[in-house]
Amino acid sequence: MDSIVIDSLRKSFHEDLPPAVDMRSVITIPKGELFGIIGPDGAGKTTLFRMLATLIRPDSGTASVEGLDIVRDYRKIRTMIGYMPGKFSLYSDLSVRENLEFFASVFGKDIEANYSLIENIYCRLRPFEKRKAGRLSGGMKQKLALCCSLIHSPSVLFLDEPTTGVDPSSRRELWENLGELRTSGMTIVVSTAYMDEAGRCDRVAMMKSGRFLAVDSPADIISGFGARLLAVRSDEMFRLLHDLRSLPFVRKCYTFGDMHHVILNDDADLSAQAGYGSDAAAIASILENRGHSGVVVKDVEASLEDCYMNLEEK
Amino acid sequence: MSPFRYLFVKEFKQFVSNPFMPFVLIVLPLLLMLLVPLLATMEVRNVRLAVVDRDHSSMSARLTDMISGSGYFILDSYPSTYAEAMDGLSHGNVDIIFEIPEGLERAVGRGETAEVFIAANAVNSTKGSIGGGYLASIVSDFSAEVSSSSGAQSVPLVISPQYRYNPHLEYRLFMVPALMLVSIILIGGFFATLSIVSEKETGSIEQINVSPVRRRDFILSKVVFYGLLGIFAFTLSFLIAHFVYGLASNGGLLEIYVGAVIFLAFMAGFGLMVSNYSETMLQSVFIMLFFVLIFMLMSGIFTPVSSMETWSQYVTYLLPTRYFANILRSVCLKGSNFSDLAFDFIMLSVFAVVINIFAVLTYRKRS
Repeated sequence: MDSIVIDSLRKSFHEDLPPAVDMRSVITIPKGELFGIIGPDGAGKTTLFRMLATLIRPDSGTASVEGLDIVRDYRKIRTMIGYMPGKFSLYSDLSVRENLEFFASVFGKDIEANYSLIENIYCRLRPFEKRKAGRLSGGMKQKLALCCSLIHSPSVLFLDEPTTGVDPSSRRELWENLGELRTSGMTIVVSTAYMDEAGRCDRVAMMKSGRFLAVDSPADIISGFGARLLAVRSDEMFRLLHDLRSLPFVRKCYTFGDMHHVILNDDADLSAQAGYGSDAAAIASILENRGHSGVVVKDVEASLEDCYMNLEEK
Repeated sequence: MSPFRYLFVKEFKQFVSNPFMPFVLIVLPLLLMLLVPLLATMEVRNVRLAVVDRDHSSMSARLTDMISGSGYFILDSYPSTYAEAMDGLSHGNVDIIFEIPEGLERAVGRGETAEVFIAANAVNSTKGSIGGGYLASIVSDFSAEVSSSSGAQSVPLVISPQYRYNPHLEYRLFMVPALMLVSIILIGGFFATLSIVSEKETGSIEQINVSPVRRRDFILSKVVFYGLLGIFAFTLSFLIAHFVYGLASNGGLLEIYVGAVIFLAFMAGFGLMVSNYSETMLQSVFIMLFFVLIFMLMSGIFTPVSSMETWSQYVTYLLPTRYFANILRSVCLKGSNFSDLAFDFIMLSVFAVVINIFAVLTYRKRS
């Protein structure tokens, strides 16, 4: 059964601006899927979340959550979703425990009823139960927010950039928690700016200018990269970036860790032209002619981030 | 637990979690009621008076003594001519000149009418006019005394005004009900608005909006909670008014509290409307401040409505503070009851209902 169906949803905030969300196709998310959304700032991720969470009304198009229309049946939807906004929005002047109790009672539940669901997350917060929520660390705040959005055992969970501003170990813990939740059959939609996190999702949607450019499993997105990718380094990385970008057969060049990644044009055929064994050798010689020392050029497999960078170009 | 109850409990927990808010709740009415009446008084004292005594008789000396004994005046110069006194007035050393003409005692002895002359500097109009008034009443007291002691044939016509309900014309008694009203506006009106807007600002209203909690319960919990705080602040002010300034309710406690509740309902609705239109606390504070100032300055709390321009007198009918202020004053000073104040109660209720309808209409649940 499909948990979420999005059908040409559209939302515009101002007449003069392009719409924030402008879906042009039908996207379905089956029950129990961990669905990731990645995209640059301003891609429309939050607007999409807010529409699905019944906070704002779409201009046109429809969407349903658990078979319920987001405009008509918003009241029912609100009882069965958990929504965690990107910005911390619990009561910072209430304690950890008071927040949890409050949000449980908001849904007419008590903490004990669904404690098993949050046990693994909340055990980290237990020592700070009496502390004001506003005085928790960033990672702890996110864990508390997650607990509060889970306490009524929702069937669909919307997480808007839950790991932004959270340290790496807390990020990993949070994703482990999400993985456990998925096994309970909960549908989880999560947006993130971290590619390694996107790789943990069942399916990933790459979003830009209000629409999904590609929706597929991380592995399929990577195998569909379809362009030649090289990793290049030299002793002068900054000049190298400019030099690479000035080459006519380079479609795109960007920093990736301690190397620069170079995406070549599809029709570039350097090895045949100049008589080198490979594209890598051809580029290495061009760069050495321009005075670079310590040049390393090698073929690499595309990662999700490369797919994302390549997509952005289009 | 019903939604209203846990929301109410949440408001309470939030309120006491920061000691600053309870502090404001207690200290604001205390300061307002104890300090302001001492500072903002219309009573005029220490009027500097120059007496030009051209009669030099025992009668003029008695009159001068009577003036200085009244306690309102500082008699520190006795210029010999009017021109000299005028010089002091123009230099700002003298507020009022009192001139006793030559031959006063003789004229009075013969049973003739004598005239004295008062010139007041009206740059500070309150000091000038009220000081002049005091002086005139002392003189008329004096002339009554003279004519009765001499058993004069022609008893001068004596006007004896009787100030009903506030016999000593104490400005404080006029002022204190107004301050009670200010404390109810600040606590009952501001707190609820700020609390809603602060939930908008911190984003916690998002979490409420995606939950099944009804907007109605959410708003009601705030209005009732801060309404109770408003009543608390009002009661505190009232107790101070009673025990410090001797303001009695004259039996009309019920009238006062019914009025306070209706007025709070108005302020709550008004605050909701402000919170509907503002995204940040700063915005809402400025909007509230603007209207509250108009409410206070134009509705006859501090200055009488009847002394305003005619057009603005009509405007005051649109300000609910006018009606509540009138209820407070009439009950406290005159002991009026519901039937005397029917018009004010009806108007206040109309305002409360209309503003709350508007507040509900202007609220957009989802953008």
